Amino acid sequence: MSKKALKVVVSVMLIAALIVSVFGLVQGNLTASASTQKTVKIKFLSNLPDRTSNQGKLEQMLIDSYMKANPNVKIEVEALQDEPYKQKFKVYVATNQMPDIFMVWGQPSFFLPVMKAGYAAEIKLDQIKGYGFKTSSLKDFMYNGKLYGLPRNTDFMVLYYNKGLFNKYKVKVPTTFNELLNAAKVFRKNGIAPIAINGKDKWILAILYQELVVKESGDQKLIYDAISKKSVSKNQILLKAAKDLVNLVNVGGFQDAFVAADYGAANNLFAQEKAAMYYMGSWEVGMAANPNFSESFKKNVDATYFPIISGGKGKKTDILAWHGGGYAVSASSKVKNEAMKLLLYMMHPTRWAKIGWQQGLVVPGQNWEKFMTGKETVLQKKLTQIFSSATSVSGTVWQDAFTPNFKTEAETLCQMLVAKAITPEKFLAKIEELAKLEVK
Amino acid sequence: MHKVLSDKRTILLLVLPGLLIYTFAILFPIILSVYLGMTDWSGIGRPNFIGLENFKKIIFTDTTFWKSLRNAILLALAYVFVQHPIALAFAIFIDKVGGRAEKVFRTIFFIPCVIPVVVTSRMWVSLYDPQYGLINKILDFLHLGFLKQQWLGDTKTALISVIIICMWQGFGWALLIYYAGLKGIPEELYEAARIDGATGVKLYTKITVPLLQPVIKVNFTIAIIYALKQMETVYLTTNGGPGDASQFLANYLYIRAFNSYQYGYANAISVLFVIACLAVNVLFQKIFKSENYEF
Repeated sequence: MSKKALKVVVSVMLIAALIVSVFGLVQGNLTASASTQKTVKIKFLSNLPDRTSNQGKLEQMLIDSYMKANPNVKIEVEALQDEPYKQKFKVYVATNQMPDIFMVWGQPSFFLPVMKAGYAAEIKLDQIKGYGFKTSSLKDFMYNGKLYGLPRNTDFMVLYYNKGLFNKYKVKVPTTFNELLNAAKVFRKNGIAPIAINGKDKWILAILYQELVVKESGDQKLIYDAISKKSVSKNQILLKAAKDLVNLVNVGGFQDAFVAADYGAANNLFAQEKAAMYYMGSWEVGMAANPNFSESFKKNVDATYFPIISGGKGKKTDILAWHGGGYAVSASSKVKNEAMKLLLYMMHPTRWAKIGWQQGLVVPGQNWEKFMTGKETVLQKKLTQIFSSATSVSGTVWQDAFTPNFKTEAETLCQMLVAKAITPEKFLAKIEELAKLEVK
Repeated sequence: MHKVLSDKRTILLLVLPGLLIYTFAILFPIILSVYLGMTDWSGIGRPNFIGLENFKKIIFTDTTFWKSLRNAILLALAYVFVQHPIALAFAIFIDKVGGRAEKVFRTIFFIPCVIPVVVTSRMWVSLYDPQYGLINKILDFLHLGFLKQQWLGDTKTALISVIIICMWQGFGWALLIYYAGLKGIPEELYEAARIDGATGVKLYTKITVPLLQPVIKVNFTIAIIYALKQMETVYLTTNGGPGDASQFLANYLYIRAFNSYQYGYANAISVLFVIACLAVNVLFQKIFKSENYEF
């Protein structure tokens, strides 16, 4: 073969290769664009980064099963812890790039501005017929008579405790505040943290304060009315509750440096059996089935009512309960109908409520009693009993019932109170000042 | 070429990309911040113009703002009067050691600077833990149990605890800059001083420190800016708590913007923040006005 012929052959081959590859590329693009026409991408923003236990596991399970049932749907989950979630959410709002479906807290301090500004798509009541939502549970997901979100769980506060530690140190499970103080002293003496609490997160301290107000007064409305009327500083019950809280701190009722402990730290302390009690909400129901915790802990974990106060008017069955977390669909979503379908699929009672309850992952926002099988964990049974025996419930907790800034400032003041940076009297005076500024 | 470069239009054309980037990335956001600082914007919906209301509120009634500024200035002072003298002493020591030991020490001191702040902050939270933390354990071991504290969980010790973390985290940078400065001082000067009878500490006070003046100035400036901008360590350890005992400006404006939904107010804080930074720097430059030594 002459040099010239070789050149020609090589050139022809190169040109052919080029044509084939270009053709292939075009074909590929065509098929890709054909398939993207059919593929629906849904962006899902969640506050449940742990996808292996509790509600995160349930959420992921339902997302996976939806994608399996709808192969053309691709759901991209972005999951962050509560505080980072709130910040990221704000960034999405500010840049007008809302995810198609997102988690919301059904509280005026979080969801009301979102609904008012029209960021959430309306959910027609007809669409959730037969879903088992109580009307009261939808109240904080509504604005101007229209529904914009669905609650996913029933939140209520209980006192978790470790049976093993109570037996070991022969301490009676406290039913009164004085018994709680005495129990704290015994555990302290034995090097066990009495109550694990995440004081760095602040919100829990504000909730605990309300718990004491309710146990002192027996009146669920008292704290809201006092703030609405801006008559806080002279209220003797509010003062007594603040003193009770400081008293609990003074006897060493919480772990050392509890003010600097975040949620993970407090949870670990209790789960590692280094704390006898844990003041937290019903969303911890999954602790008894969490594969990451020891068998000993899972055997010992139990829950009870928060103790009553001798001389107080509150009953043990006056509990703090509300419907906190839930989901909403973005009003500006390009795949609004698909996102709505996904939401309705997930929240169908045979999925979120039934699977979540029967696997011990959640206390649902819908009626769950009909899904009880008798195989529930001790915690599930106890939480069901506590909630079903409630004679009064609080609804949205006090710090969340007003403006976002009221929440931030009130929670900081509660932290200052337990850190003894301010006296109970000063605390109330400051809350009153705050109410005058923030509550219209 | 000279003709081309002296043409005003060409100069403008060449400067334009940089100018555009500066305008859109720095100048425009600053102007926007000033404007938003004069609104009651919550970050959601439309902003309402309220004039200087936010600024008045911050200056006259916001005690946390002043506390945050005070804490930032305290951190700056801790950098300047505690961290830097020690860093300079260690830099001199490393410079004098020489050989392999010099490299080893240089690396050891710089390690905290290359570890992410998240990691070192978590580490310090563990060290400070009152129950299993190393600090209280050491105090126990030394029979100094009475000195044990709740560190980050007590209003009396939270701020100093955070300041210690910040000083530890930034120590390597301060040391490295001094060390580089020391390497630039010719050995002949020391030899000449020794011949003239200077010994020991005098060598450092009369030669090292004066000749390091420009380096000290730069290092102090960086430290002060760092102190005023302090955010991540505070956020990761105390988040400004207990209450606002260890609050710093950047963290405070972040809380106002993202927790309280007060974007307008947070922008007003950021404007005052910039003014405070500029004021501190101008003041500092005035204090530090001095002649540079030639060598």
